[in-house]
Amino acid sequence: MVRRWQCLTIIPVLGLALFLVGCPKRPATTTAAAPPPSTSPQVTAPAPSAGTGPSGPVTSTPSPTPARTPSPAPQVATPTPPPAPSEFVAVPGLRDVHFDFDKSDIRAGDAKILEANAQWLKDNSRNLLLVEGHADERGTNEYNLALGERRAKSAMNYLVSLGVAANRITIISYGEERPFCAEHNENCWAKNRRAHFLTKRQ
Amino acid sequence: MIVRRLVVVPFAICGLAIIGWVLLSPSLTRSQGTGVDVMVNIRAQGGQKLNIAIPTFAATGADPEGLARRVPEIIGRDLTFSNLFTVVTGGSPLPARDPAALKKNLADFAGAGAHAALQGLLSIKGDQAEVEVRLYDLTSADQRVIASTKWSAKMTNQRRLAHRIADDVVLQFTGERGVADTKIAFVGKSDKIKEIYMMDYDGEELVRLTTTQSTNLFPVWNPDSRSIAFTSYMRGYPFLYRLFPFERRPFQLLAGWPGINSSPAWNPDGKSLLVTLSKDGNPELYLVPVGGTAARRLTTHWGIDTDPSWSPTGREIAFVSERAGSPQVFVMDAEGANVRRVTYEGSYNTQPRWAPKGEMLAYTSRQGVFDIWAVSADGSGPRRLTAGQGNNQSPSWAPNGRHLVVASNRNGRWQLVTMLADGSAQTLLPTGSIEATSPSWSPRLP
Repeated sequence: MVRRWQCLTIIPVLGLALFLVGCPKRPATTTAAAPPPSTSPQVTAPAPSAGTGPSGPVTSTPSPTPARTPSPAPQVATPTPPPAPSEFVAVPGLRDVHFDFDKSDIRAGDAKILEANAQWLKDNSRNLLLVEGHADERGTNEYNLALGERRAKSAMNYLVSLGVAANRITIISYGEERPFCAEHNENCWAKNRRAHFLTKRQ
Repeated sequence: MIVRRLVVVPFAICGLAIIGWVLLSPSLTRSQGTGVDVMVNIRAQGGQKLNIAIPTFAATGADPEGLARRVPEIIGRDLTFSNLFTVVTGGSPLPARDPAALKKNLADFAGAGAHAALQGLLSIKGDQAEVEVRLYDLTSADQRVIASTKWSAKMTNQRRLAHRIADDVVLQFTGERGVADTKIAFVGKSDKIKEIYMMDYDGEELVRLTTTQSTNLFPVWNPDSRSIAFTSYMRGYPFLYRLFPFERRPFQLLAGWPGINSSPAWNPDGKSLLVTLSKDGNPELYLVPVGGTAARRLTTHWGIDTDPSWSPTGREIAFVSERAGSPQVFVMDAEGANVRRVTYEGSYNTQPRWAPKGEMLAYTSRQGVFDIWAVSADGSGPRRLTAGQGNNQSPSWAPNGRHLVVASNRNGRWQLVTMLADGSAQTLLPTGSIEATSPSWSPRLP
């Protein structure tokens, strides 16, 4: 019995035939077969503008009615928000430093770069600094975001130790989301494990 | 499959109304839970799966969209996916009004090896589809009805109608609802922009949920399946928000501290989240209540602590820490005490995701390439679930704990793959030109 059934499933058409044999007097009722669902998604519908009625083809009579209470105003503390990252620009006087895999400490050879960056900041004392921390594509996103944060922080701490005021510095981690180099090899990954410096005039 | 793009305004009015709240109002009459006995008996006799016949539904009146055939096909695919059933669909409908002919048909199914049959009577009134389904136990001498259920749904919700019927069939035979009526949220990359998307568990009904033109990461479903927490750079810095995929509601800011606000994990009560914050100088885990201002710190260590996951009871937390010198999985009590290490093999173990049932974690391990592993919460019995198929990351459990969805680049680009909890039955979920990562399997929809 079981063997016969499995035979049916391996060849569904045979199963279908058996069903039909089982009820020979029934006329085949459904002739209009439903089209098979497409397997390749395509972006078709234009985006409706926000604020119009409910979007998409489904406007249902809701049986489980969702709560429609307006969301409470965000009460999350954002003390003195820093300028948007997009307001900062790269300058030739501020150079990247790089990191070993899964590490966030400043390499000995990169200390000179940070010293030069610190000097630039002293020479341009009205400029704010944004330190971006980056990871290479290997590793998982959650951890890489934390790792990028550590790298930015590590670079920031080094600059502070050289006398740059901490309140001039903002850090941001992009994790692995903004690679400098797009190839999938160690040469590229080494370039992507970096702290990048941008500045903005106060 | 169609992607419906919704809401363009970056973060002003970003709540999305996508699938309307449905539709399904089952009214049912059931005999006792006899279906479970059928399944138990089949397994006792050495059968792995229950054979179910789902012939074309009988339609009374017009059926312009061919639901009589399409709905049973979707049910069949759902039941096949469950790995509990062997399904045969198609064939003529079971006779609706001729008991003798019905009895003979069912006897023929039983003779061909079927243990159960699902009969559907479909009627369409305007844009409303009504289906009465009857589930027969073909292992009983009298072909008794295990359950008889009436469903109604808008025509536009026909897929969901089928999923709900399939989940109810699973319920009848196992005592627990199936997971066909669920969604998978994920990060979709298109033109180098990562937005949050959502689709049915089977890859159908793909929709984009954000249009921020910035980077969006780590979508995680609230346990009530009505909102999704995620990290976004929409305001420049990586803050934590939530979106409401089924409602017209703006994004809600959940955590906007200086530094990173990442890796959300909802408490099982749905009212607070574990979040990685670096506001105090180093990535640590904090408990952040929804709508509150306080963030309670749970970890204190010089190294990175991130990537948390609650145990289903809410009494324990799995997380990733580099306190051992490399990223490893640890477990601690919900208050942050009693930290113990879980993973020891390899130098990179991240993304612990506590199974919905039992003391088990899925996680990602790098041993040359990245693969999905599972381990008991006490650290015993680590075992590999994927191997030799590119990199595999970001496991997320189905609400029944029987399936996982993961991200894999086995075909040269990132796509989602579902599998059974033991790593078998790996199935690609097509997302077209969109590269998919960071999946989150929703709870059962309300």
